[in-house]
Amino acid sequence: MSVEVTAPVAAAKTGSSSLMPRADTGQDARAGTRAAFTELARLDPRDQRRADLREHLVRLHLPLVEHLARRFSNRGEPLDDLTQVGMIGLIKAVDRFEPARGVEFSTYATPTIVGEIKRHFRDKGWAIRVPRRLQELRLELAAVTSELTQELGRSPTVAEVAARLHLDQDSVLEGLESANAYSTLSLDAPNNRDDVGASLSDALGGDDAALGHVEYRESLRPLLAELDPRDRKILLLRFFHQMTQSQIATELGMSQMHVSRLLSRALVRLRAGLLSE
Amino acid sequence: MTDLKVGPTSERELAEIDLVVPADGAYLAVLRTAAAGLAARLDFTLDDIEDLRIAVDEACAILLSQASPGARLRCTFHMSDDTVIVRAGVRATNPRVPSRDGFAWTVLNALASRVEFAVVPPDQLVIELSQQRPVWRS
Repeated sequence: MSVEVTAPVAAAKTGSSSLMPRADTGQDARAGTRAAFTELARLDPRDQRRADLREHLVRLHLPLVEHLARRFSNRGEPLDDLTQVGMIGLIKAVDRFEPARGVEFSTYATPTIVGEIKRHFRDKGWAIRVPRRLQELRLELAAVTSELTQELGRSPTVAEVAARLHLDQDSVLEGLESANAYSTLSLDAPNNRDDVGASLSDALGGDDAALGHVEYRESLRPLLAELDPRDRKILLLRFFHQMTQSQIATELGMSQMHVSRLLSRALVRLRAGLLSE
Repeated sequence: MTDLKVGPTSERELAEIDLVVPADGAYLAVLRTAAAGLAARLDFTLDDIEDLRIAVDEACAILLSQASPGARLRCTFHMSDDTVIVRAGVRATNPRVPSRDGFAWTVLNALASRVEFAVVPPDQLVIELSQQRPVWRS
Protein backbone atom coordinates (compact mmCIF):
# COMPACT_ATOMS: atom_id res chain seq x y z
CA MET A 1 0.00 0.00 0.00
CA SER A 2 2.74 2.43 0.87
CA VAL A 3 5.09 1.49 -1.92
CA GLU A 4 3.66 3.76 -4.55
CA VAL A 5 3.37 6.91 -2.55
CA THR A 6 1.87 9.49 -4.85
CA ALA A 7 -0.80 7.37 -6.44
CA PRO A 8 -2.76 6.10 -3.42
CA VAL A 9 -2.51 9.49 -1.72
CA ALA A 10 -3.94 11.22 -4.74
CA ALA A 11 -6.70 8.66 -4.94
CA ALA A 12 -7.59 9.07 -1.31
CA LYS A 13 -7.62 12.83 -1.56
CA THR A 14 -9.62 13.16 -4.70
CA GLY A 15 -12.04 10.32 -4.18
CA SER A 16 -13.88 9.19 -7.22
CA SER A 17 -17.51 10.07 -7.54
CA SER A 18 -17.15 13.83 -7.23
CA LEU A 19 -14.63 13.88 -10.03
CA MET A 20 -16.56 11.78 -12.46
CA PRO A 21 -17.18 13.53 -15.74
CA ARG A 22 -20.84 14.30 -16.19
CA ALA A 23 -21.21 11.88 -19.08
CA ASP A 24 -20.21 9.10 -16.80
CA THR A 25 -21.98 9.77 -13.55
CA GLY A 26 -25.28 8.08 -14.26
CA GLN A 27 -25.83 4.51 -13.22
CA ASP A 28 -26.39 3.58 -16.87
CA ALA A 29 -23.25 5.27 -18.09
CA ARG A 30 -21.23 3.58 -15.39
CA ALA A 31 -22.64 0.20 -16.30
CA GLY A 32 -21.99 1.02 -19.96
CA THR A 33 -18.36 1.85 -19.23
CA ARG A 34 -17.95 -1.37 -17.31
CA ALA A 35 -19.48 -3.37 -20.13
CA ALA A 36 -17.23 -1.64 -22.63
CA PHE A 37 -14.17 -2.54 -20.60
CA THR A 38 -15.28 -6.14 -20.28
CA GLU A 39 -15.72 -6.22 -24.04
CA LEU A 40 -12.32 -4.60 -24.54
CA ALA A 41 -10.64 -7.27 -22.43
CA ARG A 42 -12.36 -9.98 -24.41
CA LEU A 43 -11.56 -8.74 -27.94
CA ASP A 44 -8.47 -9.81 -29.83
CA PRO A 45 -5.78 -7.10 -29.91
CA ARG A 46 -5.72 -7.29 -33.71
CA ASP A 47 -9.46 -6.75 -33.98
CA GLN A 48 -10.39 -3.32 -35.40
CA ARG A 49 -13.41 -3.25 -33.09
CA ARG A 50 -11.04 -3.36 -30.15
CA ALA A 51 -9.11 -0.34 -31.41
CA ASP A 52 -12.37 1.55 -31.95
CA LEU A 53 -13.67 0.66 -28.52
CA ARG A 54 -10.39 1.69 -26.91
CA GLU A 55 -10.56 5.04 -28.62
CA HIS A 56 -14.18 5.44 -27.59
CA LEU A 57 -13.26 4.84 -23.95
CA VAL A 58 -10.40 7.30 -24.11
CA ARG A 59 -12.63 9.99 -25.59
CA LEU A 60 -15.33 9.27 -23.06
CA HIS A 61 -12.96 10.10 -20.20
CA LEU A 62 -11.37 13.15 -21.73
CA PRO A 63 -13.34 15.43 -19.35
CA LEU A 64 -11.71 13.66 -16.40
CA VAL A 65 -8.27 14.49 -17.81
CA GLU A 66 -9.28 18.08 -18.46
CA HIS A 67 -10.60 18.41 -14.95
CA LEU A 68 -7.42 17.06 -13.38
CA ALA A 69 -5.15 19.11 -15.66
CA ARG A 70 -6.97 22.29 -14.66
CA ARG A 71 -6.13 21.63 -11.03
CA PHE A 72 -2.46 22.03 -11.94
CA SER A 73 -2.88 24.89 -14.37
CA ASN A 74 -1.68 27.67 -12.08
CA ARG A 75 1.76 26.27 -11.64
CA GLY A 76 3.46 27.65 -14.66
CA GLU A 77 2.89 25.00 -17.29
CA PRO A 78 0.53 25.51 -20.24
CA LEU A 79 -2.83 23.80 -19.73
CA ASP A 80 -2.59 22.17 -23.17
CA ASP A 81 0.65 20.45 -22.18
CA LEU A 82 -0.86 19.23 -18.94
CA THR A 83 -3.91 17.89 -20.74
CA GLN A 84 -1.66 16.15 -23.22
CA VAL A 85 0.44 14.37 -20.61
CA GLY A 86 -2.75 13.62 -18.70
CA MET A 87 -4.01 11.89 -21.85
CA ILE A 88 -0.98 9.63 -21.76
CA GLY A 89 -1.98 8.68 -18.24
CA LEU A 90 -5.53 8.06 -19.36
CA ILE A 91 -4.44 5.80 -22.23
CA LYS A 92 -2.21 3.83 -19.87
CA ALA A 93 -5.12 3.48 -17.47
CA VAL A 94 -7.46 2.29 -20.23
CA ASP A 95 -4.92 -0.32 -21.30
CA ARG A 96 -4.24 -1.59 -17.80
CA PHE A 97 -7.69 -1.44 -16.26
CA GLU A 98 -9.13 -4.76 -15.14
CA PRO A 99 -12.90 -4.46 -14.81
CA ALA A 100 -13.05 -7.76 -12.95
CA ARG A 101 -11.54 -6.13 -9.88
CA GLY A 102 -14.73 -4.21 -9.28
CA VAL A 103 -13.21 -0.72 -9.03
CA GLU A 104 -14.73 2.18 -10.94
CA PHE A 105 -12.58 3.17 -13.90
CA SER A 106 -12.35 6.80 -12.83
CA THR A 107 -11.11 5.75 -9.40
CA TYR A 108 -8.47 3.66 -11.08
CA ALA A 109 -7.50 6.24 -13.69
CA THR A 110 -7.26 9.35 -11.51
CA PRO A 111 -3.97 8.52 -9.78
CA THR A 112 -2.46 7.39 -13.07
CA ILE A 113 -3.39 10.64 -14.78
CA VAL A 114 -2.28 12.78 -11.84
CA GLY A 115 0.94 10.77 -11.73
CA GLU A 116 1.71 11.60 -15.36
CA ILE A 117 1.00 15.29 -14.79
CA LYS A 118 3.24 15.37 -11.74
CA ARG A 119 5.95 13.54 -13.62
CA HIS A 120 5.72 16.19 -16.31
CA PHE A 121 6.40 18.88 -13.70
CA ARG A 122 9.29 16.93 -12.32
CA ASP A 123 11.01 15.89 -15.50
CA LYS A 124 10.09 18.22 -18.29
CA GLY A 125 9.74 21.53 -16.56
CA TRP A 126 13.25 22.01 -15.36
CA ALA A 127 15.92 23.68 -17.45
CA ILE A 128 18.59 22.60 -15.02
CA ARG A 129 18.43 19.23 -13.35
CA VAL A 130 17.22 20.06 -9.87
CA PRO A 131 16.87 17.42 -7.16
CA ARG A 132 13.34 16.13 -6.83
CA ARG A 133 13.15 17.32 -3.23
CA LEU A 134 13.61 20.90 -4.46
CA GLN A 135 11.20 20.46 -7.31
CA GLU A 136 8.50 19.35 -4.92
CA LEU A 137 9.41 22.16 -2.58
CA ARG A 138 8.95 24.64 -5.40
CA LEU A 139 5.42 23.42 -6.04
CA GLU A 140 4.63 23.64 -2.35
CA LEU A 141 6.10 27.11 -2.12
CA ALA A 142 4.01 28.33 -5.02
CA ALA A 143 0.85 26.93 -3.47
CA VAL A 144 1.53 28.20 0.05
CA THR A 145 2.59 31.62 -1.20
CA SER A 146 -0.66 32.24 -2.99
CA GLU A 147 -2.58 30.80 -0.04
CA LEU A 148 -0.88 33.16 2.40
CA THR A 149 -1.16 36.12 0.05
CA GLN A 150 -4.91 35.55 0.06
CA GLU A 151 -5.09 35.23 3.82
CA LEU A 152 -2.85 38.16 4.69
CA GLY A 153 -3.83 40.50 1.92
CA ARG A 154 -0.14 40.98 1.13
CA SER A 155 2.85 38.97 0.10
CA PRO A 156 4.11 36.72 2.93
CA THR A 157 7.57 36.82 4.48
CA VAL A 158 9.99 33.92 4.33
CA ALA A 159 9.35 33.30 8.04
CA GLU A 160 5.60 33.01 7.43
CA VAL A 161 6.05 30.61 4.53
CA ALA A 162 8.51 28.55 6.59
CA ALA A 163 6.08 28.33 9.51
CA ARG A 164 3.25 27.17 7.28
CA LEU A 165 5.41 24.48 5.68
CA HIS A 166 7.08 23.49 8.97
CA LEU A 167 10.47 24.19 7.44
CA ASP A 168 13.36 26.36 8.48
CA GLN A 169 13.86 29.64 6.67
CA ASP A 170 17.02 28.51 4.91
CA SER A 171 15.14 25.70 3.22
CA VAL A 172 12.52 28.14 1.99
CA LEU A 173 15.23 30.40 0.60
CA GLU A 174 16.84 27.44 -1.06
CA GLY A 175 13.52 26.59 -2.64
CA LEU A 176 13.00 30.14 -3.90
CA GLU A 177 16.47 30.03 -5.37
CA SER A 178 15.81 26.78 -7.16
CA ALA A 179 12.57 28.21 -8.51
CA ASN A 180 14.70 30.57 -10.53
CA ALA A 181 16.18 27.58 -12.31
CA TYR A 182 12.77 26.36 -13.28
CA SER A 183 12.08 25.95 -16.91
CA THR A 184 13.38 28.48 -19.32
CA LEU A 185 11.64 26.25 -21.80
CA SER A 186 8.11 26.46 -20.51
CA LEU A 187 8.46 30.20 -20.05
CA ASP A 188 8.56 30.41 -23.81
CA ALA A 189 5.34 28.53 -24.20
CA PRO A 190 2.54 30.50 -25.76
CA ASN A 191 0.04 31.90 -23.37
CA ASN A 192 -3.02 29.77 -23.02
CA ARG A 193 -5.29 32.39 -21.55
CA ASP A 194 -7.61 33.74 -24.19
CA ASP A 195 -8.32 37.00 -22.46
CA VAL A 196 -4.75 38.25 -22.52
CA GLY A 197 -5.00 39.49 -26.07
CA ALA A 198 -7.86 41.82 -25.31
CA SER A 199 -6.64 43.09 -21.96
CA LEU A 200 -3.18 43.51 -23.40
CA SER A 201 -4.38 45.97 -26.00
CA ASP A 202 -6.14 47.78 -23.18
CA ALA A 203 -2.91 47.86 -21.25
CA LEU A 204 -0.92 48.97 -24.26
CA GLY A 205 -3.41 51.68 -25.06
CA GLY A 206 -2.79 53.24 -21.67
CA ASP A 207 0.89 52.58 -21.91
CA ASP A 208 1.72 55.31 -24.29
CA ALA A 209 0.92 57.65 -21.45
CA ALA A 210 2.81 55.53 -18.92
CA LEU A 211 5.81 55.33 -21.20
CA GLY A 212 5.54 59.02 -22.04
CA HIS A 213 8.41 60.25 -19.98
CA VAL A 214 10.77 57.46 -20.87
CA GLU A 215 13.52 58.67 -23.09
CA TYR A 216 14.11 55.37 -24.80
CA ARG A 217 10.49 55.19 -25.83
CA GLU A 218 11.31 55.01 -29.52
CA SER A 219 13.98 52.36 -29.10
CA LEU A 220 11.99 50.62 -26.40
CA ARG A 221 8.85 50.22 -28.45
CA PRO A 222 10.24 47.78 -31.03
CA LEU A 223 11.93 45.76 -28.29
CA LEU A 224 8.70 45.57 -26.32
CA ALA A 225 6.93 44.49 -29.46
CA GLU A 226 9.28 41.53 -29.79
CA LEU A 227 8.47 40.23 -26.34
CA ASP A 228 5.91 37.55 -25.77
CA PRO A 229 2.59 39.38 -25.15
CA ARG A 230 2.35 37.95 -21.66
CA ASP A 231 5.90 39.01 -20.76
CA ARG A 232 5.22 42.48 -22.12
CA LYS A 233 2.07 42.79 -20.11
CA ILE A 234 3.82 41.75 -16.90
CA LEU A 235 6.64 44.18 -17.55
CA LEU A 236 4.28 47.08 -18.15
CA LEU A 237 2.11 46.29 -15.16
CA ARG A 238 5.09 46.08 -12.84
CA PHE A 239 7.16 49.04 -14.03
CA PHE A 240 4.66 51.45 -15.47
CA HIS A 241 1.51 50.68 -13.51
CA GLN A 242 3.34 49.98 -10.27
CA MET A 243 1.50 46.77 -9.52
CA THR A 244 3.26 44.35 -7.16
CA GLN A 245 4.31 40.90 -8.30
CA SER A 246 1.55 39.36 -6.21
CA GLN A 247 -1.09 41.60 -7.73
CA ILE A 248 0.11 40.72 -11.22
CA ALA A 249 0.12 37.04 -10.28
CA THR A 250 -3.50 37.27 -9.17
CA GLU A 251 -4.50 39.22 -12.25
CA LEU A 252 -2.92 36.73 -14.63
CA GLY A 253 -3.72 33.58 -12.66
CA MET A 254 -0.14 32.45 -12.14
CA SER A 255 2.19 32.18 -9.18
CA GLN A 256 4.18 35.13 -7.90
CA MET A 257 7.36 33.10 -8.42
CA HIS A 258 6.43 32.67 -12.04
CA VAL A 259 5.85 36.40 -12.41
CA SER A 260 9.28 37.03 -10.92
CA ARG A 261 10.96 34.70 -13.39
CA LEU A 262 9.14 36.16 -16.38
CA LEU A 263 10.05 39.68 -15.26
CA SER A 264 13.72 38.84 -14.90
CA ARG A 265 13.78 37.23 -18.27
CA ALA A 266 11.99 40.09 -20.02
CA LEU A 267 14.44 42.58 -18.48
CA VAL A 268 17.42 40.58 -19.67
CA ARG A 269 16.05 40.65 -23.21
CA LEU A 270 15.30 44.35 -23.16
CA ARG A 271 18.68 45.13 -21.67
CA ALA A 272 20.42 43.16 -24.40
CA GLY A 273 18.41 45.05 -27.00
CA LEU A 274 18.96 48.50 -25.54
CA LEU A 275 22.67 48.00 -25.03
CA SER A 276 23.26 46.65 -28.51
CA GLU A 277 22.21 49.91 -30.14
CA MET B 1 27.16 58.45 13.67
CA THR B 2 28.34 56.73 10.57
CA ASP B 3 26.63 54.20 8.41
CA LEU B 4 29.70 52.01 8.43
CA LYS B 5 29.64 51.26 12.11
CA VAL B 6 28.78 47.69 12.91
CA GLY B 7 27.25 46.87 16.21
CA PRO B 8 24.07 45.68 17.81
CA THR B 9 21.15 48.07 18.00
CA SER B 10 17.83 46.90 19.41
CA GLU B 11 17.53 43.16 18.87
CA ARG B 12 18.93 43.07 15.42
CA GLU B 13 22.56 43.34 14.60
CA LEU B 14 23.52 45.80 11.98
CA ALA B 15 25.58 44.02 9.45
CA GLU B 16 27.59 44.94 6.44
CA ILE B 17 28.45 42.40 3.81
CA ASP B 18 31.07 43.06 1.21
CA LEU B 19 31.31 41.02 -1.96
CA VAL B 20 33.87 41.51 -4.68
CA VAL B 21 33.44 39.57 -7.90
CA PRO B 22 34.91 39.80 -11.39
CA ALA B 23 32.94 42.29 -13.49
CA ASP B 24 31.35 39.56 -15.52
CA GLY B 25 27.68 38.68 -15.95
CA ALA B 26 28.34 35.14 -14.79
CA TYR B 27 28.75 36.40 -11.23
CA LEU B 28 25.49 38.33 -11.06
CA ALA B 29 23.76 35.25 -9.69
CA VAL B 30 25.99 35.37 -6.61
CA LEU B 31 24.99 38.96 -5.90
CA ARG B 32 21.31 38.28 -6.54
CA THR B 33 21.34 35.35 -4.16
CA ALA B 34 23.12 37.36 -1.47
CA ALA B 35 20.57 40.15 -1.80
CA ALA B 36 17.66 37.77 -1.46
CA GLY B 37 19.16 35.99 1.53
CA LEU B 38 19.86 39.23 3.36
CA ALA B 39 16.44 40.72 2.68
CA ALA B 40 14.84 37.56 4.02
CA ARG B 41 16.70 38.09 7.30
CA LEU B 42 14.98 41.42 7.69
CA ASP B 43 11.55 39.87 7.28
CA PHE B 44 10.93 41.29 3.85
CA THR B 45 7.96 39.88 1.97
CA LEU B 46 8.53 37.61 -1.00
CA ASP B 47 7.42 40.43 -3.30
CA ASP B 48 10.08 42.72 -1.89
CA ILE B 49 12.72 40.02 -1.90
CA GLU B 50 12.11 39.27 -5.56
CA ASP B 51 12.06 42.97 -6.37
CA LEU B 52 15.38 43.46 -4.65
CA ARG B 53 16.81 40.46 -6.45
CA ILE B 54 15.80 41.91 -9.79
CA ALA B 55 16.94 45.42 -8.82
CA VAL B 56 20.43 44.20 -7.90
CA ASP B 57 20.58 42.33 -11.17
CA GLU B 58 19.51 45.38 -13.16
CA ALA B 59 21.80 47.79 -11.30
CA CYS B 60 24.85 45.58 -11.62
CA ALA B 61 24.11 44.91 -15.28
CA ILE B 62 24.24 48.67 -15.87
CA LEU B 63 27.61 48.82 -14.13
CA LEU B 64 28.91 45.88 -16.12
CA SER B 65 27.95 47.54 -19.38
CA GLN B 66 30.45 50.30 -18.58
CA ALA B 67 33.13 48.30 -16.76
CA SER B 68 36.72 48.44 -17.95
CA PRO B 69 38.26 45.16 -19.02
CA GLY B 70 39.40 43.09 -16.07
CA ALA B 71 37.60 45.30 -13.55
CA ARG B 72 36.07 43.96 -10.37
CA LEU B 73 32.58 44.67 -9.19
CA ARG B 74 32.31 45.52 -5.54
CA CYS B 75 28.95 45.19 -3.89
CA THR B 76 28.24 46.19 -0.31
CA PHE B 77 25.05 45.27 1.47
CA HIS B 78 24.36 47.39 4.47
CA MET B 79 21.58 46.15 6.69
CA SER B 80 19.86 48.18 9.33
CA ASP B 81 16.71 47.43 11.26
CA ASP B 82 14.33 47.71 8.38
CA THR B 83 16.40 48.68 5.35
CA VAL B 84 18.83 47.07 2.99
CA ILE B 85 21.17 49.49 1.25
CA VAL B 86 23.04 48.09 -1.70
CA ARG B 87 26.06 49.98 -2.92
CA ALA B 88 27.82 48.68 -5.99
CA GLY B 89 30.72 50.13 -7.89
CA VAL B 90 33.00 49.30 -10.76
CA ARG B 91 35.92 50.86 -12.57
CA ALA B 92 34.77 52.24 -15.90
CA THR B 93 36.72 53.55 -18.83
CA ASN B 94 34.44 56.49 -19.33
CA PRO B 95 31.90 56.47 -16.48
CA ARG B 96 28.55 58.04 -17.30
CA VAL B 97 25.52 58.32 -15.08
CA PRO B 98 22.51 56.80 -16.83
CA SER B 99 19.78 59.24 -17.79
CA ARG B 100 17.02 59.70 -15.24
CA ASP B 101 14.56 59.47 -18.07
CA GLY B 102 15.94 56.17 -19.22
CA PHE B 103 14.26 52.83 -19.07
CA ALA B 104 16.78 51.41 -16.60
CA TRP B 105 16.04 54.22 -14.18
CA THR B 106 12.32 53.67 -14.50
CA VAL B 107 12.77 50.00 -13.76
CA LEU B 108 15.01 50.57 -10.75
CA ASN B 109 12.70 53.19 -9.34
CA ALA B 110 9.79 50.81 -9.49
CA LEU B 111 11.81 48.12 -7.73
CA ALA B 112 13.63 50.00 -4.99
CA SER B 113 12.67 52.70 -2.51
CA ARG B 114 15.56 54.92 -3.55
CA VAL B 115 18.13 54.86 -6.35
CA GLU B 116 21.20 57.04 -6.90
CA PHE B 117 23.97 56.83 -9.46
CA ALA B 118 27.23 58.69 -9.09
CA VAL B 119 30.57 58.99 -10.81
CA VAL B 120 33.37 58.96 -8.30
CA PRO B 121 36.47 60.45 -9.90
CA PRO B 122 38.56 59.40 -11.52
CA ASP B 123 36.95 56.30 -12.91
CA GLN B 124 34.35 54.72 -10.62
CA LEU B 125 30.70 54.35 -11.50
CA VAL B 126 28.68 53.75 -8.35
CA ILE B 127 25.05 52.97 -7.72
CA GLU B 128 23.30 52.97 -4.42
CA LEU B 129 19.82 51.65 -3.95
CA SER B 130 17.86 50.93 -0.85
CA GLN B 131 14.80 49.00 -0.03
CA GLN B 132 12.79 49.44 3.09
CA ARG B 133 10.60 46.93 4.81
CA PRO B 134 7.03 48.02 4.24
CA VAL B 135 5.15 49.70 7.06
CA TRP B 136 2.72 46.88 7.81
CA ARG B 137 5.21 45.47 10.29
CA SER B 138 5.41 48.48 12.57
